[in-house]
Amino acid sequence: MAGGQERILRRRIRSIKSTQKITKAMELIAASQIVRAQGRIAASRPYQDGMARIVLETAMGDWFSAGRLLGTPDDVSSVLVLCVVADRGLCGGYNSNVFRATERLLVEKREAGIETRLVTVGKKAQGYFRFRGIEVAESFLGMSERPTFADARTVAGAAVAPFVAGEVDQVIVVSTRFLSAGSQRIDVRQLLPLADPRNEEAQASHEDEPGVSRNIAPDQAPDVKHGYTEFEPDAAILLQELAPKAAETAIFAALLEASASELTARQRAMAAATENAGELIKKYSRIMNRARQETITTEIMEIVGGAEALRAGTHDDEGGLVIQTTV
Amino acid sequence: MTTTAPQPTETKTLPSGRVVAIAGPVIDVEFPPHALPEINGAVETDVQLEGGTVTITAEVAQQIGDGRVRCICLKATDGLTRGAEVRNLGRGLQVPVGDAVLGHVFNVLGEALDTDDIGVVEDRWDIHRAAPAFDTLEPRALMFETGIKVIDLLEPYVQGGKIGLFGGAGVGKTVLIQEMINRVATNHGGVSVFAGVGERTREGTDLWLEMQESGVIEKAALVYGQMDEPPGVRLRVALAALTMAEYFRDVKNQDVLLFVDNIFRFVQAGSEVSTLLGRMPSAVGYQPTLADEMGQLQERITSTRGRSITSLQAVYVPADDYTDPAPFTTFTHLDATTELSRDIASLGIYPAVDPLASTSNILAPEIVGDRHYAVARRVQGVLQRYKELQDIIAILGLDELSDEDRVTVSRARKVQRFLSQPFNVGEVFTGLKGVTVPVEETVESFEALVNGDLDDVPEQAFFNVGGAESVLAKAHDLANS
Repeated sequence: MAGGQERILRRRIRSIKSTQKITKAMELIAASQIVRAQGRIAASRPYQDGMARIVLETAMGDWFSAGRLLGTPDDVSSVLVLCVVADRGLCGGYNSNVFRATERLLVEKREAGIETRLVTVGKKAQGYFRFRGIEVAESFLGMSERPTFADARTVAGAAVAPFVAGEVDQVIVVSTRFLSAGSQRIDVRQLLPLADPRNEEAQASHEDEPGVSRNIAPDQAPDVKHGYTEFEPDAAILLQELAPKAAETAIFAALLEASASELTARQRAMAAATENAGELIKKYSRIMNRARQETITTEIMEIVGGAEALRAGTHDDEGGLVIQTTV
Repeated sequence: MTTTAPQPTETKTLPSGRVVAIAGPVIDVEFPPHALPEINGAVETDVQLEGGTVTITAEVAQQIGDGRVRCICLKATDGLTRGAEVRNLGRGLQVPVGDAVLGHVFNVLGEALDTDDIGVVEDRWDIHRAAPAFDTLEPRALMFETGIKVIDLLEPYVQGGKIGLFGGAGVGKTVLIQEMINRVATNHGGVSVFAGVGERTREGTDLWLEMQESGVIEKAALVYGQMDEPPGVRLRVALAALTMAEYFRDVKNQDVLLFVDNIFRFVQAGSEVSTLLGRMPSAVGYQPTLADEMGQLQERITSTRGRSITSLQAVYVPADDYTDPAPFTTFTHLDATTELSRDIASLGIYPAVDPLASTSNILAPEIVGDRHYAVARRVQGVLQRYKELQDIIAILGLDELSDEDRVTVSRARKVQRFLSQPFNVGEVFTGLKGVTVPVEETVESFEALVNGDLDDVPEQAFFNVGGAESVLAKAHDLANS
């Protein structure tokens, strides 16, 4: 009777097994890619550090005339939000954490009466915001897993240009920072105007995060401060040129870290999925085995019962009651 | 225990027989040739037991040749000896019928258990009767409103139809049937007949006391053959109750409600005596005559010439296996089925009705209306999708679902909880007063839910409430606390 049940369970177990194979493979692929992604972050760091130093020096040279390029703007009427997520899912809460932070930021800004413009990286963002009816000014696909500097420049074209043109007063990046293989953090930070070097110095001394830090190391700062650089034609004009380049570099760094975080998240999610699938298989196998046993038992009982009844029938010589029963 | 109607006297003239073999509840009796009692005829014998005389009534099941008949006893055969005299009553088992039975409790022999005297009995009918003729049947498709959301929405009951409540052990069949008695019998114009077949004696007493409290007893008759009785009784008690119901329908021209708890015990009793009768066991050890026995009973429960018997039958499902022959044979006779599921009961959702497995043949747009039909199907669609997503959620987690699926999951969870409802008879368990929801409100509330109008309301607000308004009220309370 329960044979149908058994077949259904068998099919289900087979399907879970093939899912498990996929998740296992994805876990291994992600694990191998993390190392490369970490390598890329490390390789890009000297350039970022150098860029940061130049910006700092330039700003120190003439931060009065830096104007809207430096520091936290007091009067913001419009803001551009750059949201960096993955092209693909299957990476646990990686995407949705960034979405939540982005949405909270958007709501916050809108409530403060600030106009928002949204630029996204990653295919998942496109679907998410479209489903919620939130307008996306521009979205970039196909770069989340292995971003190149060319990609960063394309994104910068959409994110930085409006600021340079004066269309927005502030550019904020929402992405995941890769602190270490074991720790990633959702980060909401201002990309433009560039952080005020004076504040940054103070911030740097407080910051004690392990691993990657794009801030200038505290021990380097005094040298820069005390050095003397002359600018030609002058620092303000130089900064004008430098700011978008610095933003580009920062975007590239954000993309690289996001990709490493994505891979880590994926590895972790797939490891968990593989384990869950294993447990489901165990659970269903147990139910299936029990169903099979039951079928076998029932069939044996039927055969034995039938045989008994037939045998009793042949000894029926009196025509009376034939089943021996004790009451 | 007394029988109040005068016994037919002509039976005394029939020659008696003698017991030749006894095997538990089954005895073989030898009668003089040409004076064999008919099949389904009643015979009687007296047993001297502990100083008293006990009369054992038995029913002829087979004629096995050589002047012998094989009978099923309706009392324990303790003390019965071979050679004991057996009287042929020349009739079948009979129960009193008519207004005199209302307000009383009977056993399968038609003896009142609650009083010595039930007054003047109009008539006594044989419990074995032919099913109504083909041309007198009256197909009706009118919805029978219960005020229970999950039933009215997804498996509307048919007036004059047969309704089955399926469930494994301890998922709430008896509670649901008592709730139906409480809800329906109280507002019902006609009479109610309750058959207690092989269930707990205590529950039978509870029901009787409750009916006295609510006053329903005035228009109800109860026939009990509970789990302490021999199989012969449990095999016939449903027929006894049905006979009373038929009299009200055919002679008194009344609408009747017939409650049977539990029809599976009828099958079980049949299987207990089947091998003793010398039949070879069939699938899963059941009697080979299973479908026939069930058909004999079910075909009589029907509506004729403007008068209806609406029956509610609890069906125990052994080991939660719906493919077991007993529930499976019952299925085919029913107009609407309510399946109670252990998974849902384990979520704490009562009534634990499985919204996907339960069905009704009147859930069609031309009977319940386009809107009701559409809402019911959409509710099932949402729940079905949720069920399909279960494995994905179990493996990959909720985060991996698409946005549409995530909305579906949240609505499905709300629908699941919204299908719970406090019962009148469950007040002692839940501490909540029973709620009745008119079918229009049910349809409207579920429509709002699947349309997404209630997406902002937290899940808990849907638990154990009435319509959409009470959901909002509960959400408000939750927000305040």
